[in-house]
Formats: sequence, structure tokens, C-alpha cells
Amino acid sequence: MRPAASNTDAMRVPKSMSGTAVEVTKRWLRRSGIVAQLISLVLVIAVFALGTEGKNLSGANIQVVLSLAAIPAILAAGLHLTIVIGGIDLSLQGTVALCAVFVGLLSRNKFNGNDVGLWVVPIGIAIGGACGLVTGLLHTKLRIPSFITTLGISWVLYGLAVYINRAMIISLQDDRIQTFINDKPLGIANIAVVALAIALIVQFFEDRTRTGRYLYAVGGDEALAKQLGVKVDRVKILAFAVAGCLYGLGAVLLVNRMGTATSRAGLNLLFPVITAVAVGGVSLTGGLGGAKNALFGTLILTVLNNGMVLMAVNPYAQTAVNGVVLIAAVALTLDRKKLGFIK
Amino acid sequence: METTISRTQTVVLAAEGITRRFPGVTALDHVSLEIRSNEILGLVGENGAGKSVLTKILIGIYQADEGRIWLNGNEVVMNGTSDAIQKGIGAVFQEGSLIPNLSVTENLFLCHEADFLQYGVLSKRRMAAEARRLLLPMNIDIDVDAPVASLSAAAKQMVEIARVLWLSEKYGASNPVVILDEPTTVLNDSERDTLFDILNKLKRRASIVFISHRLQEVLENCDRIVVLKDGQNVTDMPTAGLQISEVEKLLVGHDFSGDRFRENEQLAPNEPVTLKIEQMGKAGAFEPVSFDVHEGEIISLVGLVGSGKEELCRCIAGLDQYDTGSVTIDGTRPRKGSSRAAVLGGIGHVPIERREEGLALNLSVADNINYLVLDKLKWAGLISSRLEKEHARRWVAECLVKTPSIGSACAGLSGGNQQKVILSKWLSSGVRLLILDHPTRGIDIGAKDEVYRLIRKFAKSGIAMIIMCDTLEEDIGLANRLLVMRERRLIGEIDASPGHKPSPQELIKLVV
Repeated sequence: MRPAASNTDAMRVPKSMSGTAVEVTKRWLRRSGIVAQLISLVLVIAVFALGTEGKNLSGANIQVVLSLAAIPAILAAGLHLTIVIGGIDLSLQGTVALCAVFVGLLSRNKFNGNDVGLWVVPIGIAIGGACGLVTGLLHTKLRIPSFITTLGISWVLYGLAVYINRAMIISLQDDRIQTFINDKPLGIANIAVVALAIALIVQFFEDRTRTGRYLYAVGGDEALAKQLGVKVDRVKILAFAVAGCLYGLGAVLLVNRMGTATSRAGLNLLFPVITAVAVGGVSLTGGLGGAKNALFGTLILTVLNNGMVLMAVNPYAQTAVNGVVLIAAVALTLDRKKLGFIK
Repeated sequence: METTISRTQTVVLAAEGITRRFPGVTALDHVSLEIRSNEILGLVGENGAGKSVLTKILIGIYQADEGRIWLNGNEVVMNGTSDAIQKGIGAVFQEGSLIPNLSVTENLFLCHEADFLQYGVLSKRRMAAEARRLLLPMNIDIDVDAPVASLSAAAKQMVEIARVLWLSEKYGASNPVVILDEPTTVLNDSERDTLFDILNKLKRRASIVFISHRLQEVLENCDRIVVLKDGQNVTDMPTAGLQISEVEKLLVGHDFSGDRFRENEQLAPNEPVTLKIEQMGKAGAFEPVSFDVHEGEIISLVGLVGSGKEELCRCIAGLDQYDTGSVTIDGTRPRKGSSRAAVLGGIGHVPIERREEGLALNLSVADNINYLVLDKLKWAGLISSRLEKEHARRWVAECLVKTPSIGSACAGLSGGNQQKVILSKWLSSGVRLLILDHPTRGIDIGAKDEVYRLIRKFAKSGIAMIIMCDTLEEDIGLANRLLVMRERRLIGEIDASPGHKPSPQELIKLVV
């Protein structure tokens, strides 16, 4: 053995430590996985700035877009977790419906004597979380594919919501949350601030905690993750439960913003949220993309829809455009090698 | 080569009288294995000899039915991989155990992140620094924050080896044992040399068990060799001065070199030309080539990876488009770039990836065999299950497929029997030319012999064949003629008829 060899080894500088600030920034951007989303957002804004002659850039419109994007962004921050682990959660609408009905009936209203005040926030989150927990348990313990489990659960929860709600339109008589939602102490509506905070917290959880990284391990290769000691079932259940909590929070905000609660609150939410997650670059095959992607996806989609409204595009055409966007986004982000066969 | 036997070798890990039974077969029958400190131990045996079962018992994936394991003189029980690694024993498997979307750093410490946690938050900086420290002796220059999917096969192996070493260091194992299961199959030559350099350095602080099919590299790099056959110990001896042929003899149980490729069954081809290739070329893949294949003739394409021979075969089989020239099979020209047209014209293709491309694994043996001839198995316009069964039974018998029944799924068959199913599918369809892409890759020596016998039989019945083999010996032994390709050109043709076989040494000069 020549001693010289070990000296050269020790002096070698690994590639990752070298590079100028520009290179480091470039690398960070590339690895952040939101470059394409940033560019798309700028493009969409620019196109509609031309199409609406700048109307979409007005202060008032930006406020509208941010408020519109807030609730879908929170829901997307939840739903994308289940896609990161390689599954999907279609129970969004049912969960939101059930939470909405409970929120309505527990807040001060004219149908019963309940008034839990601001406790409705943690209660709403807990109900959503419980729904997600049950979904996760069914999915992992009975080993049913997540898309079927969650599709079934969605209808169970929606049915339950309709049954409890009995077609009442529950008007809320406590407007403290509504006032908070619309206040603008930071220049933009609080609800947008809440959505941003949620996205940042979830992203931090994904990046910097063990459980967060395990989500990606499970999404990357479940069998391997299990073999290496990741408690796969627990991670999956957690993803569904956290998603449920965020649906609960979304329901609380939704109901309070409208001022009324019905079992119909959740209708037509699933499609835009899944589209937003896909547009943001969260791969449906799992393991790629985080809360920041979900957030950007929601923004892109909201700007797009807002722009089409401002340009008075035929509403049926708007619907169709959203469908095209979903398929295009999935076509770009799907890892077909991992799937092998597309069925 | 560095010193082979050190002064103070002790036995680190010993398995004694290990027996493991699976339904219907005894995979290991009182096998013993001794792993000493600071050595590279070569573990060889045919497919199914019990190497991987033994490995899995050593790292606790399987439990032995009988027998004991001793670690540094104390009897131990291995309860799963994480228990084994805490005792300083880890394995790196062929298929790899890194999660592709996670970074090198995250993979290295997956499930052992506790050291890097502060208030429940991971310190990425400290993880990256530790990862760089671990990879320094591995001689690879990689970005530890890059996802593993972006690394070469060689780099991935190094990361895995580094992980095993780190874990054993963490749990205080003094002489870790690293088991490498066929690590070189995914490496090119220079990567392989690097691996052996590192293993030779590594053995100063660890023991390495090296499992490989390539006897050459085992003999060159290991200090000692253990041969398993049919789940039993055959031998345990130092490699110094050992010849490959001696080891081969031990592996097979009889001397193989005599008539290994059934050369005495080889016949001269018939006069009629089955396949005529005229000025066929594909830009960037291979220069225009022309050659004929006669009835019953076996042509072997010889050349390195990148010589263009693989692309040439894909074009003949209609899997790829070619730019110039033509393919004529039995006087007709199938439309180019259409595998359907090629099959209808009588060209069959047995791909190297037989599990992915050659078989419908979930379907039965009968379904796979009948696939190309369903039209002929009709009665009153509908497919007859009686005719299907008859046809499948006939070909299972003809090609000696060992299967529990013709209704069994192909996924459950051994590699050799899967290959025989693919061959019967083509033969029963009346194929005129068969392209065999590494027909004996990954099947054990006994099954290889049966594949050789089938190849001879088909040649006798007039089927022309183009083959590409794992070894030059196999090419020379099987073929009537060798076509040598180098750097995308056909550079020569060598007669290999019985009695005129060239030596591998003569051939290798042309190839490289």
C-alpha cells in the first residue's frame, strides 16, 4: 500500500462544495423543482395582461386572485401529501362537506342552540383529521388501493353530511372568523396569509423532518423503504390524516367566508385542487414535488381562470380549458418508467 | 496485487450446518461458511446453488431451519436486516437498495437520522458534511445532494457500500462484513477495476464476500473461494494458483470443456438462403452491411457493446427502422420497421430481457406457447381449448419445458424454462429465422446445455439463426460462421465450422 494514495484522497474536494454563488443559486433553483412553475406563472400573467389590457394587474384584481386561491391552496397543501406517497385522495369533497355541516351546526346558528365560538377551528380540523385517519387505516390495513378507498369514503362522508344536514341552509350568526378572513393588516387578505403560512409549514415539514423525508422515501420506492426500516403504513396513514386536517381547516374557512353552511359546500372542489397539484409539478407517480409546488399550481390555475373570466371567455370553454390543463400537466410530470404499463 | 493472507486473520462470521427448506426443495443442506477478517471471499455457484439464500440467512431476511451462526466466537441470531447491520453485517444486492428520488445524503442515513436531529428538525448541513466524509474513501466525485437516480450504477454501489460501513461503524462493529451480490454485472470495465481497488483497500478494515458469475474476476480478486452446488458445500480453498477450468469442473460436477456446446451435433448448413441482408444501414448505429444466412446455419455476431450488432438485430427483427438497404426472408421483403411484418415473414426474436420483452409472465405456459398460432387452433371459427391444450402439451414435451402444468404462470418458472417457453413459441409458429439475443444469459449451466441442444435441433430442422452470446467461447462453439463487428462496421467473417473453430484469443484481437 502506497501512503501517497491516501493523501490524494484526503485532498480531493467533492464537487458539491465548489462553485460560484451564481452556480449555487442555479443549482438551488434547479433542485427546488419550481423553475417551470415560476415561468408558467409569469407567462400566464403576461398573456392575460395582454388579453385584458392590464386589467388583471390592477391592485383590486390581485387581491381577488389571492383570496380566490387561498382555500384551494390549503386543500392542495393537504391533498398533495397523498400524491407524494404515491397514492391519491379523492375524499376531499366528502370530507369538506361533512366538516362544513358540523361547522355550521356547532357555530351560533338559528337551527339549534350550539355555539362553540372559535373552538370551531380546531374542531373542524379534528373532524377532517379523523376522516383522513379512517381513510388511511382502511387503505393500509385492508390493503385497498387509495383511489378506491378514498372514492368510497368520499361518498360515505357526503351521504353522512346530507343526512345530518337535511337540506338546511345554515346561516352563521358569528362573523368573527369572516371578519378575520377579509381583514388586510398586511396589505393582503388574512386568508391568503394563512394559506401561505400553511404552505410554508408543510414544505418545512417535508424538507426538514424525518417523517417528511419518509413521505418521499415511500413515494420513491415503497418496498425498499419498508426494507430499510421505514414504518410505511404509519407514514401513509399520517399523510391521509394531515391531508384530512387541512381539508377541515379549508371547510372552516369556506363556510365562514360564505356565511352559510350546507352539505353542498364541498362540491366541485376536487377537480381544481387535483389539477392545481398536477400543474404545480407534483408527480402522480409519487416522490416528487412539495407544498410549494401545490401552491404554485394553485396560483397558476387561479390566474388562468380569473383571466378567462376577465376576458369574458365562454364559461363552457373555461371548463374545457381546465380539463386540457390537467391532462397536459400530468402528461409532463408522470414518470412512465416507474409505472411500466399505463392502465 | 496486494498481499493476500495477512498475519492475524481471525474468523469473524461463521455459519455452521445451515439447512433451509422451501416447499418442495432443500435450498441449503448443512452448508458451512467461514468469513475471516481482512479477506475477500469469493462465493460461487450456479443459479439455484443457494448463494442468495445463504446471503439472506446471514443478514436475517430468512431464518435457517437448522444450523448456527457465530459472530466473533459467540452464537447469534439475526432478526432481519437492521439487526444484522447492528452486528456489522450488511449486503449490497444486485437490484440495489437506494431510493431513486432521495438524495445521496438522505439515502445514506435513511432511518438513522437521529444524530442529525435538533428539536425534531434535520440539519441538512451536518448530514451533507458527514456524507462527504463517508464517501471520501470511495473515490467517487459526486454531489451528495443530487438524487440517487442521477448517479451511475458504479456510484450507487459505492454509496451502498459506504452505508453498510457507516452503519457498522455507528454500531461499533470492529470488522464489518460486506456481502456483494453480483456487483460487477452492472459495471463497465473501468468501473469494475475501481470497485476492486476499493475492495482491496477496504479489506484492511473489513471482510468482503464477493458473489459473482464471472470466475475470472473471482479468481483474480478474491483470497479464498467457496463453491456451492445444489445447496451443498463443494469446496473451500485459497485462490492462489487456481485455474478457471478446475472451478468450472467443481461447479458443474463434471468436466465441461470437452463438448460444451454440443459441437459434434453441428451440421453444415443447407444450400438455400433464408435471410438476405443487402446494404442495410442505419445512420449513427451501423454502416451498411450485406450478408446471407443459409437454411440451418447459425451466424454469430461478435463485437463489443456499441459495435452496432444489437441495433442491427433490432432492425432485422423490425423493432427499429433502418435507413438504407433491404432484408429479404425466403424471397419476400417484410415492410421495414414493423415487428408484425417481420413475424409474419418468419423472423423470430428472443430478446435479452426475457422477463420484460419475451414473455407474458402472468399468463400460463400454454398461453405463451400458443400466442402466435391461435389462428390455427380454431374449431368452427372459434379458438378451441382442446386444440390449445394439445398444441401446448406437444411443445412442452418437444422443448423439454419443466413446468408443473401447462396452465402454470410463466412467472413461476426458472430462467431456463422461461427461455424454453419462448423458444417453443417461435418454433411452433414455423419461424424461418430466429434472432437469439444472449439466449443463455442468467440461466444455470444445466439449463444452458438444454438450450444448446434445442439450438442444434432447430438448426437440423432448417431454421436459420443469428445469435449473440455472453462469451466468445459460446459464440465460437455454437456458430457455423462468425461475423465480427467493430465500431459500427462489419469488419470480417470467420469460418467456425466443426474442425475449423478459431480460438477465443484469435477472435478477441479482431473484436477489440
